Amino acid sequence: MKIYEYVIRRLILMVFVLFSVSAIVFYLARGFPTAVAPWTPYITGRMTAEQIQQVIREHGFDKPLHVQYFYWLQDIFRGDWGTTGLWAQSRPALEVFFSRFPYTVELSVAAVIMTVAIGLPLGIISALRNNKLPDHISRIIALTGYSTPSYWFGFILQLVFSFYFLSWGLPYLPSSFAVSTSMIGAVPKVSGIPILDGLLAGNLAYTWDAFIHLILPSLSLAFISLGYLARIVRASMLEVLRQDYIIMARSKGLKERVVIYRHALKNALIPAVTLTGLFFAGLLGGALITEFVFAWPGVGQASLLAVFQGDSNFLLIYSLVMAAIIVSANLAVDVAYLFLDPRIKY
Amino acid sequence: MIRSWLGPRRGEWAARLADLRYTLYLLRRNPLVMVGSLLSLFFIILALTANFIVDPNIAGEFDYTKKYFWSNRTFNWGLGTAIYSGPEYFFLGTDGYGRDLLKMIILAIPLDMENAFIITVAAAAIGVTIGALAGYIGSVVDEAILRITDVFFAFPGLILALVFAALLGRTIPTLRLAILLVWWPTYVRLTRGQILAEKEKNYVEALRALGVGHLRILFLHILPNSIYPILVQATMDFGGVILTFSALMFLGFSPSPALPELGNLASDGYLHIFEAPWVLIFPGLTILLIALAFNLVGDGLRDVLDPRLRR
Repeated sequence: MKIYEYVIRRLILMVFVLFSVSAIVFYLARGFPTAVAPWTPYITGRMTAEQIQQVIREHGFDKPLHVQYFYWLQDIFRGDWGTTGLWAQSRPALEVFFSRFPYTVELSVAAVIMTVAIGLPLGIISALRNNKLPDHISRIIALTGYSTPSYWFGFILQLVFSFYFLSWGLPYLPSSFAVSTSMIGAVPKVSGIPILDGLLAGNLAYTWDAFIHLILPSLSLAFISLGYLARIVRASMLEVLRQDYIIMARSKGLKERVVIYRHALKNALIPAVTLTGLFFAGLLGGALITEFVFAWPGVGQASLLAVFQGDSNFLLIYSLVMAAIIVSANLAVDVAYLFLDPRIKY
Repeated sequence: MIRSWLGPRRGEWAARLADLRYTLYLLRRNPLVMVGSLLSLFFIILALTANFIVDPNIAGEFDYTKKYFWSNRTFNWGLGTAIYSGPEYFFLGTDGYGRDLLKMIILAIPLDMENAFIITVAAAAIGVTIGALAGYIGSVVDEAILRITDVFFAFPGLILALVFAALLGRTIPTLRLAILLVWWPTYVRLTRGQILAEKEKNYVEALRALGVGHLRILFLHILPNSIYPILVQATMDFGGVILTFSALMFLGFSPSPALPELGNLASDGYLHIFEAPWVLIFPGLTILLIALAFNLVGDGLRDVLDPRLRR
């Protein structure tokens, strides 16, 4: 099979996945036993009873659920994603989503950078000193990372680095939001990502403010995910170090440093690249709890609010975009494999 | 006739026993696995005996005059802490209902462990059966099952669990079901991969030539030979399930805010984190320790059982 045939096949499957995700979320979210009727976001205070009836008819809210789904699909293909509930002032769901998404992107990028910066060296050290003290220490850090309840760790970070540092008179870090309240609106919104916008506007104070707000939430995310990366790097490094070409490189008399960083690491990194790609995709949607704890104005926090208020429109757009990102990331990783590892054929 | 050939050969049990002994030896040599095993054993025993150590009825006795109190003799949390100087001694302070936090944590452990056990076992049983069938039968069945798991992998698990829990209501069984719903596909993928590699081996062909039935080959021969990675996954998932379950509770899906459950106890504390940090810290720390104990065992098992790292 040629690469493009494979990619096309996967893209077709992606359409199937997206439809299934939307159907599942639709049935679950619209079936909510909420206090508000599903058509509430569509009506305003000035509508007459007749107009409300018309809205209900237009979006098919008087029909059974499986018929409503097709009304919803029809709306989507017209570009109408519906409106959100009260938590986002009933603005259009699409607008709410994309005004919040840049914050999540910023947090995810920061978390991935931190994960790789700590997890990769940890994994390499672990493999090189296999079953010695450094390996044990790195194993404890890694396993503690993924045994930690994320909500709890976030609050502990806030408690120590914001509250206690403040009360001890040390330089403290901000505990919540993406920028300080006094800084909001200081720079024009271009990309929506605070650090990038600050740099584009040349406002260094704003950029610095956005940067220090980023430290605690991304540390909280990175601590939880770096363990996986460290373990994978360790395993694949151990695997590679046992192979013949490494023995060959050593017997040529190459320095150990060259053998490890030039010869072994390159091959050992292939699974790590995959994992990092999938992490990034997962973080773009999965930072729900961390965003909630740090009051980060991203899509994760929004989706939590949407669940609590039974807001099906936002949940639908959220899960569809997330599914699209995760499936494309999987595809990208599989295609990247073809180039990274010439032994793999599809 | 054929039956007797298929039984274990002479010396096979001895060989298996020697192998098991060697595995245990490798595990004993690893100090972290020992620590993990002892810790998990401690929590299992605590879970089984908790209701005898602490009277479960005290979970329902609220005394709001003792709300968020700390016994000063233990540790000083700084300004703004309400110090209790009465006759009782609360080793870990009191929670928002005026109950002894240490006793509440002990009472909470059985519920969390039971949940984790039920969900892990159920997810593994469902996932392994479906995955084994998918891997063994192949073709259309395999493709269909894979596409279904694709859908589950394509969205953030927590959101699905949350929506499901919101839909079905806030009771322990529905929360279990919600987590189970997002947990089984992992086992399908894992088992399918194992079976695909195992079913090409010669002994499977030999069994088929002897006329052994498909189900028998699959569940009595192939599956036992590929069970180790599944076992490792299940051990590590035990911690993962506790984390997820307590996160759901923390986010407010608890049937009752006074229910002694670790995530629920922690959620009681987060609004009072500055004046009563212990209410958040200690339940969370307990979750971390339980999850860490099982992860240490699982991680050690994975190293020891990996044939490439073995000798």
